[in-house]
Amino acid sequence: MTSPPDFPQPADPSGQPALSDADLLTRHIGGDTTAFSEIVKRHRDRMWAVALRTLGDPDEAADAVQDAFVSAYRKAESFRGDAAVTTWLHRIVVNACLDRMRRKSVRPVADDELIEAAERDMPLPDQTAEREVSLEVTAALKLLPADQRAALVLVDMMGYSVEDAAAVLDVPAGTVKSRCARGRAKLAPILSHLRNRSDLTRVSSPKGAELRDG
Amino acid sequence: MTGDTHYDLEILAELAEGLLDDATALEVRSHLAICDACGESLAGLAAVRELLSAVPVTAMPLGVAMRIDRALEAEAQRGGLRLVEEPDWDEIMKDSPWEEKPVSEPEPQVLPEVVPLAARRKRSRRAWAMPITAAAAAAVVFGGVGLATQLVASGPGEGVTGGQVAGPAVSPEKSPLKTAEAAWAVRASGHNYTSRELNGPLLGYFGPEPGTGSNSDEQTDKCVARKANELDRQPIAVDRAFYNGQDATIMAFWEDKTINAVRVVVVGSNCHNLRPEGLATWN
Repeated sequence: MTSPPDFPQPADPSGQPALSDADLLTRHIGGDTTAFSEIVKRHRDRMWAVALRTLGDPDEAADAVQDAFVSAYRKAESFRGDAAVTTWLHRIVVNACLDRMRRKSVRPVADDELIEAAERDMPLPDQTAEREVSLEVTAALKLLPADQRAALVLVDMMGYSVEDAAAVLDVPAGTVKSRCARGRAKLAPILSHLRNRSDLTRVSSPKGAELRDG
Repeated sequence: MTGDTHYDLEILAELAEGLLDDATALEVRSHLAICDACGESLAGLAAVRELLSAVPVTAMPLGVAMRIDRALEAEAQRGGLRLVEEPDWDEIMKDSPWEEKPVSEPEPQVLPEVVPLAARRKRSRRAWAMPITAAAAAAVVFGGVGLATQLVASGPGEGVTGGQVAGPAVSPEKSPLKTAEAAWAVRASGHNYTSRELNGPLLGYFGPEPGTGSNSDEQTDKCVARKANELDRQPIAVDRAFYNGQDATIMAFWEDKTINAVRVVVVGSNCHNLRPEGLATWN
């Protein structure tokens, strides 16, 4: 199996190849007290991105990532060498996020509610359009069922292949595709106004420029 | 299809993912060739993917990274990871006659969760896993000069009330230490010490306060006695409190009184060091 992302290994000043994640994990199990810190250092930004996007809340994401790393630390021996360490870590993080979402019993939202939410969201032209788009995308993702959200975060947001996302989520590739398709279908009407606005801000048409400049 | 004229978004999304069977896919594609509205919907789905991928990636905030480091550090200590500074008590005690006796002392609950190494945990638990009487005997054996000095230094009735060196398990008739008053008082401030605080002046945190309620128990006393024996001196002060959120006993020993230097020892419930022994100032 391939690891979901291509992690550039940090260059070793001595010129020797850096230890692989699997080597580090083996050392951790063997009692090396610094090995796990190195694993954390390598992957924390990516794990943070996954958790933040899945949960849409920095506090929740921080708790989930901490839980996940502590859990990985404890159950390092349960790691099986036939999977990439990164896949294993992603799975632990995603599961920590899904656990949190389930505990908060996020209610699946019906389609008509999604439409209403879309209608409520009026485009607000301002200077921080990009940031606002991010916030709206995050808010829209929260309206999706957890499994669809997790699939879209991995595939569309993090850019992992469907196969890698399937390995992380421990479901068949077809299931990932199906969850992505249904998730995108729900998001399309909610986010359609952003698409229009992005056309506007890019001044791609005389009509857009006219609208923007009044 | 909705209203016999258009396909709904989910069908179009499945088409884009290649999830439709060949016949259905062909049918939808034929429709798309002539239907602007459905073409627009399909473009909308593609735009969703673009929007999702355009959300900027942010690095983990430093505060979160530090929090995780601390949590993992605490996890390492709970799991009984061997600290470099810690003497190998199992090795030292392995030939002791009492090591084979059944454990009669309830062990402190360290943390029931899974820890990475069973071997480590076993080791850390054994630190105090000896019969009470044997522990008392150990205190006598190791006591030596320190305790004798103490007998002279603090006569009956003068000593600060607090833990007794040998602990209550030793019967007064048989113990040679029955008149020994402990030279230290064990406070229980409940303060959560940080490593930084333990480098600075300590007097304000757990300076001697006569009359402050003592909170000694047998295990703490044994541990303090052990550290006192290791360092061959009596502590200035002992505080049962917390260190970075963990139950801890903090002991202060004079390193060099003339230059106001104090040696600080921080141990957990198993009497193993939670922190490398360090020097601090007293005043």
